[in-house]
Amino acid sequence: MRVLVVEDEKKTASFVRKALQAEGFAVDVCHNGDDALAAARTTPFDGIVLDIMLPGRDGLSVLRQLRERKSTIPVLLLSARGEVNERVEGLNAGADDYLPKPFELAELVARVRALTRRSGENKSTVLRAADLTLDTVTHRAQRGGAEIELTAREYRLLEFLMRSPGRLCGRMMILEKVWDYDFDPGTNLVDVYIRRLREKIDANFEPKLLHTVRGAGYLLKEQP
Amino acid sequence: MTIRTRLSLWYAAVMFVALMVMGVLLYYQIIIEPREHARRHPERHHTEQAIEQDMFEDVTGIVMWCAVPAVLLSIGGGWWLMKKSLAPVASLTQAAEKISAYNLSERLPRTGNGDELDRLTEVFNGMLARLDDSFNRTREFTLHASHELKTPLTVLCGETETALRDESLSPAEHERVASLLDELRRLARIVDGLTLLAKADAGQVALKLEPVRLDELVRDNFADAQILAEPHGIQVELAACEEITVRGDRHRLRQLLLNLADNAVKYNQPQGRVTMSLRRNGDTAELTIANSGPGIPPEVLPRVFDRFYRGDSAHSPTVDGCGLGLSIVQWIVSAHNGTITITSEPSKLTTVTVRFPLLEVRQQMKKKNP
Repeated sequence: MRVLVVEDEKKTASFVRKALQAEGFAVDVCHNGDDALAAARTTPFDGIVLDIMLPGRDGLSVLRQLRERKSTIPVLLLSARGEVNERVEGLNAGADDYLPKPFELAELVARVRALTRRSGENKSTVLRAADLTLDTVTHRAQRGGAEIELTAREYRLLEFLMRSPGRLCGRMMILEKVWDYDFDPGTNLVDVYIRRLREKIDANFEPKLLHTVRGAGYLLKEQP
Repeated sequence: MTIRTRLSLWYAAVMFVALMVMGVLLYYQIIIEPREHARRHPERHHTEQAIEQDMFEDVTGIVMWCAVPAVLLSIGGGWWLMKKSLAPVASLTQAAEKISAYNLSERLPRTGNGDELDRLTEVFNGMLARLDDSFNRTREFTLHASHELKTPLTVLCGETETALRDESLSPAEHERVASLLDELRRLARIVDGLTLLAKADAGQVALKLEPVRLDELVRDNFADAQILAEPHGIQVELAACEEITVRGDRHRLRQLLLNLADNAVKYNQPQGRVTMSLRRNGDTAELTIANSGPGIPPEVLPRVFDRFYRGDSAHSPTVDGCGLGLSIVQWIVSAHNGTITITSEPSKLTTVTVRFPLLEVRQQMKKKNP
C-alpha cells in the first residue's frame, strides 16, 4: 500500500508519515499542490491524504484536477478551516473522506486504512470474532452459544467494530459512522457505550475482545 | 433645506401674501372707492363722521378677511410641515431600538432632503458603520486566531499521540503523556467551538434546512441520554413525544439535543432525574428538558448563555467541558428561528424550554383531522 501525503506544514507531514509507516504503508510526501499532481501522475498511489490549505494550488483544486483526469484514487481531505459546510463541499468535489484539524492520529490512520481497503471490506452476512458471532441480517448476536440482547445503537457499534477486526477505530470515526454525528459532542458517549457493550460481550467470557487504547480509540481483536 | 428654513419661509410667505392682499384691498377701499363714489353721486354729501364710520367697518372687514385665513394657513401649514419633517423621527426611533450586535450592517433610511434629521440619520449611520467595522474586526480576530491555533494544535496533538505509542515509556510516563493529550484535545474542542461561533456571528455558517421529524431525533436522543445517565444512577424519562416536523438542519438539531441532555446529566445530583418532553403548543414545537439538579442561582441564570461563563465554580467542581456548549445551543436555536429559556428553582427543578416554529401547521392539522 502506497500513500501520498500532501501537507505544507513540515512537522504535521512528518508525524503523519511516521504514523502511516508504522502501520505498514509506504509513504511519499509533497509540500504543495503542483508537486502532488505531478507525483500522482507518475506513481500509482493507493490513496492520498490531502490538506486543503496549501501554498499556490489548494487541495480542493488538486482534487478537482485529479477527478477531471478520471482518477478514482481515494482521497482523504484534511482541513484547518473546520467549516461545517466544508465537508459537504469536499465530498462534492470528489473526496472520499474528510477530517478536520486538529485530528487524532489514530483516527487518520484508521480512515486511510478504511479508504485503501474499501473494496476488501468484509461483506459476509455473519461476522465472527473468536466465539462471538453477529448476524447482519437478523441483527442477532451470540457468544459461546448464548444469545446477547443488543439495542439498535449497540448493534451498530458492534457491527462497525467487527467489520474492521484488529484495527484501531478512533472516537470521531465511531461517532461519524455509528451516530452519524458530524461534530465532536465533547461527551463520553462512545466510552459509555463501549463499557456497556463490553459488559454484554466480554464480562462473562474469555478471551476479552473489546480493547481500549488510551488516547487513541478502540479495537476488537482476539489476542490482547 | 433645513426644517428651520422651511418653517421661516412658510411663515414669511403667508405673512407676505396676507399683507399684500390686505394692502391691495385697503388701497381700493380707502382711496379708489370714495373717489368713485363721489364721482357717481356728486349730489350726496356725507358727514365726516359717517365716512369714518363706513371706513372703519370696511377696514375691519378687510383685516378680518386677511388675518383669519393667514392665521389658519400658518397653523395648518406649520403643523403639516412639522409633521412631515418629524416623520423620520418615528422610524428612526424604531430602527435604533432594533439595533444590536447582530444587525449592525443595517442602515437607517434617509429622506435625502438635507434637513437636520437627515443629517442626524447620516451621523447615526456613520456611527453604525464604525461600530459594525469594529465588531467585524473582533470577529475576524477570533476567526483568524482560532485558525492560527489549529496548526500548532495539530502538531502538538500529533506529536503527543506519537509519543504515546512509544512502547519504551514506563506506565507512569504513559499516564502523564495520556493526560497531556486529554488536555490538548479539550483545547482543540474549545478552539473548534470558538471557530464555529465566530463563523456563526459573521453569518458564515450555512444550515442545510429540510423538513425534520423532531420526535424521531428526540427519541434517539432519549436513548443516548439514558446511557449517559446510567453510570450516575440518574433516571431519564420521556414524558411526551408528539409527532412533530420542523424545518431544520438535522445535524445541528442533534447537536443541540445531545448538548442539552448531556448538561441535564452533568449538572444533576447522583440518583437524580431528567425529564424530557416534546409537545405541540399552538403553532410551536415545545421541547423541555428538566433535571433535578442543584439548580442555577438566580444571579447566574441570565448569564448561562455567555461564552466561557462558568458561574460559581463551587457549584460544579467536577464538571469539565469547553464552556461554549450553551452558547452553541443558543446559536442553533436562533438559527432555527426558535427561542430558548431556562428556569430554575435552586435545589429543585431546572427546566430548559426550546420552542421552534412548526413546519406547515395547516398540513399537519389536515393529516391529524382528515
